[in-house]
Amino acid sequence: MIDYKGLVQDDRIHASLYTDPRVFDDEMEHVFHRGWVFVGHASEIPRPGDYVTRTLGTEPAIMVRAGDGTISVLVNRCRHRGTMVCPADRGHVRTLTCPYHGWTYDLRGELLGVPYPGGYASLDKSANGLPRAPRVSEYRGFVFASLAAEGVSLAEHLGPATRLIDRSCDLSPEGQIELTAGWVRHRCAANWKMLPENDSDGYHLGFVHMALFRTIRSQYQRVVGDERSIKAVVRDWGRGHIEIDWSPGYEGLFEWLGSASGAAVERFVAAIERRDGPEVARRRFREGPAHALIFPNLFLGETNIAIVQPVSVEECVHWHTPMFWKGVPEWNGRLLRMAEAGMGPASFLMPDDLIVASRNQQGLHARTSPWLYLGRGLNRETVDADGRIVSHVTDETTNRGFFHHLRAVMSEV
Amino acid sequence: MSTSDADHRAVADFVYREARLADEARYAEWLALWTDDGVYWVPAATDPGADPERHLSHIYDNRARIETRVKLLQTGIRHSQEPASLMRRLISNIEIEAAGDGDLIAGSNFILAELAVQARRELHWWAGRVTHRLRRVDGQLRMSRKTVVLVNAAEPLPNLAFLI
Repeated sequence: MIDYKGLVQDDRIHASLYTDPRVFDDEMEHVFHRGWVFVGHASEIPRPGDYVTRTLGTEPAIMVRAGDGTISVLVNRCRHRGTMVCPADRGHVRTLTCPYHGWTYDLRGELLGVPYPGGYASLDKSANGLPRAPRVSEYRGFVFASLAAEGVSLAEHLGPATRLIDRSCDLSPEGQIELTAGWVRHRCAANWKMLPENDSDGYHLGFVHMALFRTIRSQYQRVVGDERSIKAVVRDWGRGHIEIDWSPGYEGLFEWLGSASGAAVERFVAAIERRDGPEVARRRFREGPAHALIFPNLFLGETNIAIVQPVSVEECVHWHTPMFWKGVPEWNGRLLRMAEAGMGPASFLMPDDLIVASRNQQGLHARTSPWLYLGRGLNRETVDADGRIVSHVTDETTNRGFFHHLRAVMSEV
Repeated sequence: MSTSDADHRAVADFVYREARLADEARYAEWLALWTDDGVYWVPAATDPGADPERHLSHIYDNRARIETRVKLLQTGIRHSQEPASLMRRLISNIEIEAAGDGDLIAGSNFILAELAVQARRELHWWAGRVTHRLRRVDGQLRMSRKTVVLVNAAEPLPNLAFLI
């Protein structure tokens, strides 16, 4: 048994958390199997029979919509010989049929039949369905699953952090986002925890991304200036959910888009004003969508949605797709181009993040001085009226929030 | 419209030169190969129905963004290409056809060996088919469109921050 209270202390963490395969195995069990993980969005499988394949930690899974509209998350492993029933990334099927010996399951994973059943004295179909996540729950189309039959509810897990999801979805005049552009997956030669940490790190921008700031104007440039002039903040929402909020630094509307004007903006503003009134609409367009990590693997990356997929202790994959706002499809082209600029292997930001992450991973194998001090900002963070810890955007409040929740989850028996 | 032997030679020379400039990180010279309306597309799918207006791509740069991509590499602090990957690509299976407007369309296959020297110094192999659309501007061939369909376009990819 690894002592996680020893490895994750209040202001420092031990490097073996990133390099020890036993820690990775414990994380798969405690974080990705027992806990709630993001699987996909309901808009990816609009019709009965639509499915996508994902992983729950390293467990191959199928997210599929049944004839009654309900969504199941099934383990992608035939009960007979363990074959992956759905080898493709996505598809549309009437039944789930194993390609090896033709065992056939319905869209909820129940075994319908096996070829040549005379070879079995008795076969209890009800006990031989595809293994399924016993708990699947949605919030505004975001589908989460847990492989544990019991535990905290999704509502308890998300807690007040649903407001972060709301902030992104409420920019749609219909209150719904759609993930229909397809995913790009980016391989990273580093431990999976580097991705949520880096995605919510406001300290690195002026260094890792200085090349971009020297090349074009960017809304992130405001965090490169004088420490005292920066207004953006980080927040720890509890239960590992962590946020960068750039909006205290935004003065005008749409600064989070770089800028925007013209007829498409006027229609967009008018649609939200009709629903929410001018004051709330103005706030929404000033603040923009959330920049936050929903523990452990969903990153609300402003106009992108991203997934963190652990592969091994030394490797992970960052998925991303642009978030389309239902009701204003004229924005989709711009959102696609923003997604390509920001995330993915050929983008202007993420390749630099991931090369630094892989250098971190190499450096962390050094055995001398294995502790990482994570105390930045302890001298100035505060607790707001909603109980969230808030600090300067460059502070490690987010790393602490992530690791302290990880410690709690990993210490559960 | 038919193509001449001279067209074939000129296209092959262009495609080889473009590859060499990319391999050798000669960014300004590579940028000069583009027309003012250039479009650089690396789809994230091998499906010929991939549509950059509806589907996410790895790269879908208009001319302004091609310039941003090059300027970023020229800063010397683009960490994912600092130092630049060591690369050589082999090009083969060149086929050309004439478009109605006088442009030439060139298809070619490539294999690229990339030593990603920035962190783990791994050798990455890339392969795919490239389509160049070429136009004569002041007597010189220039590319107005370059599309690169990687064989693994839809798979998880490592950094692709160099000029593919």
